[in-house]
Amino acid sequence: MVVETFLFTLFLFLFVIEERAYGYLDPGTGSYILQLVIGALFGAMFTIKIFWKKIKNFFNHLVLKK
Amino acid sequence: MTKQQNSEKEPGSFRDPSGLLFYRNGFIYRQINYTYKEHYDSLMDSGLYVALVKSELLISHQELDKKHRFSEKAYKVIQPQPISFISYPYEWCFSQLQDAALTTLDIQKKSLEFAMSLKDCSGYNIQFRKGKPVLIDTLSFEKYREGQPWTAYRQFCQHFLAPLALMHYRDVRLNQLLRVHIDGIPLDMTARLLPLRSRLHFGLFSHIHLHAKSQKHFADRTGLPARGKMSHVSILGLIDSLETAVNRLKWNPKDTEWGNYYEDLNYATEALDDKKRLVSEFLDRIQPEFVWDLGSNVGMFSRIASNKGITTISFDIDPACVEKNYLEAVHNSETFILPLLLDLTNPSSGLGWQHHERKSFMERGPADTVLALALLHHLAIANNLPFESIADFLAKISRSLIIEFIPKNDSQVQKLLSTREDIFPDYTQEDFEKVFKQFFTIQEVAKITGSQRTLYLMVSNL
Repeated sequence: MVVETFLFTLFLFLFVIEERAYGYLDPGTGSYILQLVIGALFGAMFTIKIFWKKIKNFFNHLVLKK
Repeated sequence: MTKQQNSEKEPGSFRDPSGLLFYRNGFIYRQINYTYKEHYDSLMDSGLYVALVKSELLISHQELDKKHRFSEKAYKVIQPQPISFISYPYEWCFSQLQDAALTTLDIQKKSLEFAMSLKDCSGYNIQFRKGKPVLIDTLSFEKYREGQPWTAYRQFCQHFLAPLALMHYRDVRLNQLLRVHIDGIPLDMTARLLPLRSRLHFGLFSHIHLHAKSQKHFADRTGLPARGKMSHVSILGLIDSLETAVNRLKWNPKDTEWGNYYEDLNYATEALDDKKRLVSEFLDRIQPEFVWDLGSNVGMFSRIASNKGITTISFDIDPACVEKNYLEAVHNSETFILPLLLDLTNPSSGLGWQHHERKSFMERGPADTVLALALLHHLAIANNLPFESIADFLAKISRSLIIEFIPKNDSQVQKLLSTREDIFPDYTQEDFEKVFKQFFTIQEVAKITGSQRTLYLMVSNL
């Protein structure tokens, strides 16, 4: 709970609420803002994951060639 | 607005202004409205439609002449490939819901490759076709706008991640909350029901707990943030994280009351073999195209029908049986059997707006043939249902019926009577036949060798 509240208050100050969403489905303001915040983190993790896979594949190929 | 004759709008098709589903002369059509033109053209021209249909992730459709339109709003009219039986997420076992979730994420990943995105993520847009989950809503796509978060994120979490997490951490029967919450299980409720340790699961911490907190905090605000964009790689990261979270959730069907039924039953091999032979013979005689097996357990008798190429819906009340049945179907790449959860004494009812958005169990019938094997005594004795009521129900949902009568002296009936007073003087084979003859015409009667049981083939009089 403490971690949640800390993370939450951290991003509360980052965004100004004033635009509207497109489409017929309401994404929900909370869902929308959460994505903006955690998206950067997940994006970074995803980049590292892909990079790591490439390194693993590179070494796997080297081993297979031998 | 002109509405063509003999057309009936699908009652569940009203939320999305992009188009609508309608029926005409027994066929289903989808009208695509002008408002959706840009997105539909992009789906078809970008190559996404072909890629998804090729991967069996989206049902194919045929474009028809516009004269088939439902109203003047029509940009196109398409005829989607039909689905033999519409099922709902609250009728799926754990693995079916998980596979449907992963299919949805696969579709979203593929869409992003073609600069498109899923604009909704309703579990009801996924159906099982030939044993695999497939998206049936051709209008679920929109052009991807760089920087825009995923519109359907909330819906994905409510329709898929929340029920899966509750089934994993608490109780597999909590998927029934989907019957009450038609737009998925609210995240604040999910967060409250989940144990503390679910916060250690990074995916659930983010997508359920933080998400619920964020929804609560911003509940009274209107509008969306003007600054702050979500990069393409962030969207991919979000999808990847959801995929990891879904994959980490598991449910192992442990021994339940029914899970090891055939092993525990000590069913004489002779009797079991004879029953299988008789069911097979009766099916060959009536040649149905569509079978419902009620109380199917793990689908042993359903497979007699499905292995003949007959589309068979294999219903059972026990989530463990449905799970085992589904996993076997997946393992053997079976395409004619669909295991589903169903409590016959409280079957799925009509849900949503005016009770019409989701159809009741009976509305989705009748089946060509219903199998009611080792079922009657459970309805009559365990649930106090009179033969008249059972016969009336079965006649309404079937054109023909293969039903087993189990006499009182059978060990299974004795088991049911062992803990209660026998208040069933009318539970006799004579009474059974007398009552069922009011609703059905009995065509075949056969004693099951090595048992006291009898198998009947009947045709509905309704």
